[in-house]
Amino acid sequence: MISEDRIKGIIENVLREMGSGEISTDLRTREATVSDDDIVDFGATDLRKQLLVPNSANEEAYLKLKETTPARLGIWRAGPRYMTQTQLRFRADHASAQDAVFNSVSEEFIKEWGILEVSSKCKDKDEFLTRPDLGRQINDETAEILRKNCVNKPKVQIVIVEGLSSTAIEVNARDTFESLTQGLKGHGIEGGTPFFIRNGRVPSMDSVSEVLQPEVTVALVGERPGLATSESLSCYIAYKASTSIPESARTVVSNIHQMGTPSVEAGAHIADIVVKILEQKTSGIDLK
Amino acid sequence: MKESVLSAGIDIGTSTTQLVFSRITIENTASMVSVPRMSIVDKEVIYRSDIHFTPLKSRTEIDGDEIRKLIEGEYNKAGIRPSDLQTGAVIITGDTARKENASEVLKNLSDLAGDFVVATAGPSLEGIIAGKGAGADLYSREKGAVVANLDVGGGTTNIAVFRNGEVIDTACLDIGGRLIRFTDSKRNVAYLSDKIKILLSKMNINICEGDILSHADAKRVSAKMACVLEEVIGVKTPSKDLDLLITDCDLRRDYQIDYVTFSGGVADCIEKADRSLDDYTYGDIGILLGHAIADSDLSVKRDVLKSIETIRATVVGAGSHTTDISGSTITVTGSALPIQNIPVLKLTSDDEDLPVEKWGEVIKRKVKWYRLENEQQKLALAFKGRRNISFSQIQVLADSIIYGLENGSEDDSPLIIVVENDLAKALGQTLKVRLDFNRDVICIDTVKVENGDYIDIGRELSESKVVPVIVKTLLFNY
Repeated sequence: MISEDRIKGIIENVLREMGSGEISTDLRTREATVSDDDIVDFGATDLRKQLLVPNSANEEAYLKLKETTPARLGIWRAGPRYMTQTQLRFRADHASAQDAVFNSVSEEFIKEWGILEVSSKCKDKDEFLTRPDLGRQINDETAEILRKNCVNKPKVQIVIVEGLSSTAIEVNARDTFESLTQGLKGHGIEGGTPFFIRNGRVPSMDSVSEVLQPEVTVALVGERPGLATSESLSCYIAYKASTSIPESARTVVSNIHQMGTPSVEAGAHIADIVVKILEQKTSGIDLK
Repeated sequence: MKESVLSAGIDIGTSTTQLVFSRITIENTASMVSVPRMSIVDKEVIYRSDIHFTPLKSRTEIDGDEIRKLIEGEYNKAGIRPSDLQTGAVIITGDTARKENASEVLKNLSDLAGDFVVATAGPSLEGIIAGKGAGADLYSREKGAVVANLDVGGGTTNIAVFRNGEVIDTACLDIGGRLIRFTDSKRNVAYLSDKIKILLSKMNINICEGDILSHADAKRVSAKMACVLEEVIGVKTPSKDLDLLITDCDLRRDYQIDYVTFSGGVADCIEKADRSLDDYTYGDIGILLGHAIADSDLSVKRDVLKSIETIRATVVGAGSHTTDISGSTITVTGSALPIQNIPVLKLTSDDEDLPVEKWGEVIKRKVKWYRLENEQQKLALAFKGRRNISFSQIQVLADSIIYGLENGSEDDSPLIIVVENDLAKALGQTLKVRLDFNRDVICIDTVKVENGDYIDIGRELSESKVVPVIVKTLLFNY
């Protein structure tokens, strides 16, 4: 065992060395010369194509395996730990997941899209995160806005629900929506008036459906982000949705993002599901 | 949800004709809440025919009627009707493919084949099919290694080399067990192939049909053939004899072969250590050739793996491994399928790097060229396609494709588009909208083709909504 005095001595030595005025000036100058271009964006590398194992016996086969999974394989190690770049990438991914949750979909984005915006009962992000119950509901004024501005009893109502990833909405919702609308048109189906529910959770689709009474409600919802992607969008579809339907009545298409199902392809696929739901007059686990 | 399709494989080879029926099982491997991802999860050979000698009318003519009878007989024995089959392949292989009436024989069989695909294999494709039947592609994927399969048949030896599951090279040689045939066990020569005649005279063995080939000479010529196989694999330095026996193309040999598998009729004589069988049981040099290969450096200098199929490798390959399936989200018009032997016109990666607005001109130019050089007007346009293309870009892409492919308004044949990345459903829907729903569109994805390939697309499967696809590659022929 090292004595307490000895530890103190070591710490003192280290502190003295660190406290040297010369070194700290040096550090400051270096800081000033680093431009944004010099900073590596750890989030930009495609992990499936990055193999950190040095001198692997068969790199081609390893990369082929890596193509099939977003898991962090072949990241090698420094002693018993992750290498610095792996550690930083992990934190970068965690940061973008947090950003996706804590940030809101920008107002400009909705404006540019040109769709109506309403809100759940939550007044801000904090309330949205702490009161899941309020994120499922809308108040009477919102109901009135919808009644005034939207087609009543449409065959299909598409709603964009902010959910837990603002990034997913900004990156993937619009292309999915356009492709879905085109697909529906191909089947001769006109959708109702689309709108965006800020601070909404999945069941907010039920609340708005009680107001507008569509035959089928399609909600594009920002998915709770993980470390593989923060841009994943889900689609929930229900036949004659209301606040009394069970969760099992929702048909789900998840993982709509760059590395999952591409948004335009998902939209086209969802259109076919909607047609099937209209034919069978049911959704969720009862849909064949 | 599982769905299975029944596939037939018929192989009419130089010496034998065989048939198998395979059950190919397709299952959604994605989670319940994702867009389905259909994959082939199982391939099972459910019926193997007897191995028949290929009926010939003369040395240059296949007896089509006899083959038909033989195949019909096997259908009856298996209790399978042509209408039960969703896919499959008939191939005429080896020397037989060079027979005068090969295509006529295929035509004669096409009604027996139901809707499925009839194809003459080129030597490269034949080698690939045999390699897959032997399991060489599987070994190469499992071991992350380079595996060469040598399908040593009656008339030819077809070689396919796989690395990590993909074909990287092919070759075909005039080496086979029945290139010298005898009328009786006294080695009275009934048949000598033309190339073997040259080889024999180079070895100073001067005999013609009707003469007796001595046992020693039969062994010498077999050893010579095995030696040429050593050369082609890169165990020995290539000689003039290799040049002589190459049918159309040699291996590149710019990679190291780790393992070797053997298939074809002769393979059984390589693997069987038991040499009690009379050397001339089959009235040819097949057994001697097998022994010569077993005794050669091939087995010493390269690890030999036990192939899954030997004499049936090609027919199993044809039945089980030629069919693939498309992606799960595609656009097809039922009435337009099946389609067969559609040549593929693929954009180069340079073409694809251009902005999609410019693709129209590129496609138009390529199609025009293609039509000048080829009689066939139908073609499938293929490209890799960008992942995550935006909705507005897909509209532009669709317009470019329509502009590029429309060569006359009277043409109402379906548009056939084959993409590698997952975008066929959205693209197909867009094409239909852009064409005002006036023209059939077949747009499939997750299928990899190369320029110059031919593609067959089967009918949509009722449950999984995918289409069976057979890609006939000619890539290694030039």
